[in-house]
Formats: sequence, structure tokens, C-alpha cells
Amino acid sequence: MSGRDYLGEFEHIVILALLRLGDRAYGVTVRQEIESRTRREVSIGAIYATLNRLEAKGYVKSHLGDPTAERGGRSKRFFHVTAKGLATVNRTHRALQGMTEGLNLIERYS
Amino acid sequence: MMTQEFRARPPRIAAWLVDLFAPDETETIAGDLLEEFSELASKLGVTSARRWYRRQSVKTIAHLFATAFRDAPWLIACTTVAGYYLFGFGYGLPERVIVAILNLHRHGVVPYFTQSQMDFHIFWLNSGIYVGRLLVSLLVGCIVAMAAKGREMVAAMTLGFITAGLPWAGYLLWAAKHRDAFPPAFLPFLVNILGGSVLIVVGGGIVRKIRVSRSASPADYLRSYPDH
Repeated sequence: MSGRDYLGEFEHIVILALLRLGDRAYGVTVRQEIESRTRREVSIGAIYATLNRLEAKGYVKSHLGDPTAERGGRSKRFFHVTAKGLATVNRTHRALQGMTEGLNLIERYS
Repeated sequence: MMTQEFRARPPRIAAWLVDLFAPDETETIAGDLLEEFSELASKLGVTSARRWYRRQSVKTIAHLFATAFRDAPWLIACTTVAGYYLFGFGYGLPERVIVAILNLHRHGVVPYFTQSQMDFHIFWLNSGIYVGRLLVSLLVGCIVAMAAKGREMVAAMTLGFITAGLPWAGYLLWAAKHRDAFPPAFLPFLVNILGGSVLIVVGGGIVRKIRVSRSASPADYLRSYPDH
């Protein structure tokens, strides 16, 4: 993995959701956070596909919680962003800021 | 105490399909969907919650299907190609076996002595071969699913689409070129192939279910006792 990796659009959104949620980040809360902030309906499958990809890249880590009754005895899988993931978010963010600097997007194109 | 919302159950088929397709995520994805379903059932009612669950299931399965292709393209491609050749080899096998057995049975006597002998022969040539081909399809589906560990349904469905899709596409192309001619003899073959494709997918589903039940976690104990 090179040190110049950037996050894809949805990967970026998912990692930002994890950072916002902190230790409450699992499938349901991540999905709801993204849906409420971006106003776009996302499936739980899309969330897990992205989280698994991010975990394979070493940007996030996960652990299973205890099984709960409201989930039919199934466990929650909690996620958190690793230091490597945080560095990649910052790099992606800086790249986007660099690209949008001076464009005044909201006034010119909205 | 169980609340009314907790007793509301998500659509069975949708939940079953999610279980089939979710590779190692059965536990978490199914749990997440159930948790949100219960929340929605208490807020908006069971009907809306069920509609949401079905929509989420379809989208989730589509994502899992696409992800399996992206994550393990070679595994899916190799198992599908190998399965296709296996299916091609196995498709003619029941016919050869049944004809060999029938020839053995009548000891080379031609023509038949009785009508019942002839009926017996025709029955096995028609139904026996058809059933044999279906069983071969089921077996091929199981073998492909076993080889595509963790992506059983994706491999089996891909093979099912190909085995059904290629002959049907050929037939439709032929029919488009020769509009006046109608090849009725070809249709039973296509129906047979379609049945075989369905059984390939069923075979994949059987292997998937067995694998999931073998790797069931201690949480399954809780699941069977919803009051806990």
C-alpha cells in the first residue's frame, strides 16, 4: 500500500461517520448517521462492503459486542478508525481542500 | 417482557435470502436489519417496517453479490468455468447410464416382447433421463458452492445464469432469424435446462445453509429463546 492512497467518496463518508460516532459506531448507527447527514438512503450491505474494504486496507478495525435480545441474540460489530485510517482521511481532506480552494462552489454552482 | 414491536417479525423470505447471501456477515447484517426493523415497527407500524426491510434486503443482496465479484473475481470465475464444464460433462451422463442399464435389462433383444417392456423402456428414457439431469445439476451446484467457500450463492447463481442464459440466448437469436419457423423440439430442452439451472442454485443454497449451521455461534442459543 503506497503512502499516497486516497479514500473513495463513499469510503470517505463512512470513515467520517465512524469518527463522529466514536465508540457507538456499528452498522445501524453508521447507516443512520450517513442517511441523516447526506439525505441519501444507503443499504446496510453497502456499509458493510465498504467497512470490510476499509478493514482490509487497515484503515478501520472491528470487534464484536455481546449478543442482545433486540437483535434476536445477534452481536453488534463495532468499528473504529486506526491511525493509518486517520492519516488517510486527513490526506484525502487536504487534497479536496486544495482542489476546491478559491472555487467558491456554493455561490457559483448552486 | 416482550413488547409488541419485538414480536413483529421481518418478512421471512427476505430474511432468509439475506442469510443466504451474507458471506461472513450473517450475524451482524441480520442483527442490524432486525434492530432497525424493530425500531421502525414501533415508530411507523409493521407494514412500513416490512416494506423497508424488503427494500434493504434487495439492496443489501445486490451489494453483497457485486462485492463478491470485486473481492474474489478469480475464485468466482474459476468455479463458474469449472462448474460449466462439469455440468456439460454430467448433462449427458444420465442418458448414457440409463441406456446402458436398459440394454443390460433387455439382454439385447429387439424388438420388445411385450407392450409393458416397451412402456418401461420409454418411461426410463423420458422421465429417468430428465430426473437424472436434474440430480446432476443439483450435484454440480453443490460442488461449485463447496469450491467457492464463503461465496457459495454467488458462484452457484452465476453458473445458473450462464447454463440457462446461453441456450436461451441462442434460441432467441435463432427465433429472431427464422421468424417463420418454430422449433418446438427445442423448447422441452430449454425447459429442462431452466430446471437444471434452478437446481444448481438450490444446490448452492443447500451447501450455504449447511455451512452456516455448522459455523453457528453461541448467539444462536439466545436466538432460539427470544424472551432472553
